[in-house]
Amino acid sequence: MNCVLEGNAVKAFGKAIHSLSRIGDELCLDPMSKGLALRSVNSAHSAYACFLFSPMFFQKYNLGPEQGSETVQCKLLMKSILPLFRCLATVERCQIQINTPNDRVKIQFFCRHGITKTHDLCFEESEALQAAFASHLCPNVLKAPARVLGEMVMHFPVSQEEITLSITPLRVSLRNYFEGRNDHMKIMYTEMSLHPDEFDYFQIGVESNITFCLKELRGLLSFAESHCLPVSVHFGAAGKPVCFSVEDMILEATVVLSTLIDSESPSQPAETLTVAPRTPTRCADVVPESPGEAATVPAGMELVASSQGSPIEDPALLLLLHHLSEPHYQERANSTPASSICSLLFRAKSPESGEGLPVLACCSDEEEAEEEDVMMMRSPTL
Amino acid sequence: MKFRGKIIDVACLNHFTRVITTISKLTKMCVLRLTPLNLFFVLSGKVANGGVSMWCELSQENFFDEFQMEGVSPEDNEICLEVTPENLSRALKTVQNARAVKLKLTSKHCPCLTIAAELPTLSSASRLVTHDVPVEVIPRRLWHEFKEPGMPDFDVSIYLPPLKTMKNVIDRMKNLSNFLVVEANLSGQMNLKIDTDLVSVSTHFKDLGNPPWGAEGSQQGGPSPSRDPDAMARTRVDIRKLQQFLVGQQVNPSKAMCNIVHERVVHLILLHEDVSLQYFIPAVA
Repeated sequence: MNCVLEGNAVKAFGKAIHSLSRIGDELCLDPMSKGLALRSVNSAHSAYACFLFSPMFFQKYNLGPEQGSETVQCKLLMKSILPLFRCLATVERCQIQINTPNDRVKIQFFCRHGITKTHDLCFEESEALQAAFASHLCPNVLKAPARVLGEMVMHFPVSQEEITLSITPLRVSLRNYFEGRNDHMKIMYTEMSLHPDEFDYFQIGVESNITFCLKELRGLLSFAESHCLPVSVHFGAAGKPVCFSVEDMILEATVVLSTLIDSESPSQPAETLTVAPRTPTRCADVVPESPGEAATVPAGMELVASSQGSPIEDPALLLLLHHLSEPHYQERANSTPASSICSLLFRAKSPESGEGLPVLACCSDEEEAEEEDVMMMRSPTL
Repeated sequence: MKFRGKIIDVACLNHFTRVITTISKLTKMCVLRLTPLNLFFVLSGKVANGGVSMWCELSQENFFDEFQMEGVSPEDNEICLEVTPENLSRALKTVQNARAVKLKLTSKHCPCLTIAAELPTLSSASRLVTHDVPVEVIPRRLWHEFKEPGMPDFDVSIYLPPLKTMKNVIDRMKNLSNFLVVEANLSGQMNLKIDTDLVSVSTHFKDLGNPPWGAEGSQQGGPSPSRDPDAMARTRVDIRKLQQFLVGQQVNPSKAMCNIVHERVVHLILLHEDVSLQYFIPAVA
């Protein structure tokens, strides 16, 4: 692959890498015909981010001859590539070439005063992990200018690890989340809430509280703010992953984060989520059509109390694996109660970008030291 | 015990936030005393904080539009809370553009000072922000530790040079030595000196002026009129404590002065329009 970026595009590219560095230690460069994708996954496999730059983003974008049927994904160390994109003030043009035989990526910066900086990085070929997230199946969707989300999170200190996002027909609120009970007494609790009117798009299918890692999201928010792009949030009940995305004509960025399972409310019916394909209600129509959901939406318009969900326990994990056999997230019409516990889907990149391979990675939140064993299953390609 | 306060004026909120931010830079934890007329932030000199003590007094009506409190009992109409000022500062900083900020004593997972505000937005609805800052109630039997410090029997009282200048000087001296000698006389001269095996540095300030009570003396009849105006009173202090005091100052005070008790303590007093801050740094051997 050979591509050239000019001036401002280099800065945007650098900012994307910077956002990805908040997620994982490795960066995957994935040149495709639809554009160059940059992906990163965190070590616990509970956070995934992808920036896709369409060919129009580049001054020149050529996939090499070897990229015919074979996809070459280059895995680079974040700490090798991030420093290269730090000081871009004098950069006029940047050229990136992936040289498969040598396993090297050549990044050249053409700067002012005729200075050229060439960097040769070694990459590892790997199968890119791509989270398959069916955002169209999410019952809850929010869309707001990046500034609004930025203003929401600014109430929380930079050191805040996790926050809980709650949605009801009347309010959207955020509060900080702490797991350990030792410091329970000394923690400062912050909560902020907004009216649905502040969002460009507000759709609530199911009232929920989701807890996810804020730190991993900040990179995307700062990228979105610098490009003045609106951010879309797709999510469902606790335990299901949440997806934050921005897009414009020439790029798309997505961050998918796992959420903590709310094991304190076992009554939370899994059925709610299977029936998700039905038309989710808009905020004005509070009562859901589907009978299966009637139980979950309380009559009162109170904010759902923070569940402070406990981390995943092993029994739940086994339950997850047990349900893996059911091909959910692909068929819409089935009413089989799909597991609501699964949080992130991964599939091995296949040449055909096949639809929905039932590959599942369990949610294992970073904080939980115990749950370091991440189970991942890869189905063979079709 | 009850406490509710409301700040509506933007300038008052701003000023209040700045005062608390200054306090947060001076100490990690302190005691907040609430009385019907005042708020006090107190740090009592204990070995744990190197003997440094602080007393900050605010008149509540200069900041709050509404202020209601009910103390522990009618005779002891006061509330004493131990709080981390940094939490308060952080909470207040996020609500600077609020229409109104309410502070109240609540009981959530533990006793808390809750800061609640409504933030205006472009749409008709407003945003609600709530911060619950955990506090610890101080029992009455310990209240004697947090009384207003008396004016010490000082030897010299002098106005301080511009705080920024002092800070620059002390920042550089800090790299050379851990201890600093502060000395001043009744002729408006002040010296900051460090002295190590390798180097000694001294910065001289003159024409600073001495507060009028310097001549009359303190309550105990302090520096006698017969004190030689050129005689220096000096105290050797830990330089980091002095630096910490200066780092926190965000606004230029209307009056800044320093009382020195020879080889005992340096007493710094900053007076703003509606806030007074006193800081005591003990001498080191």
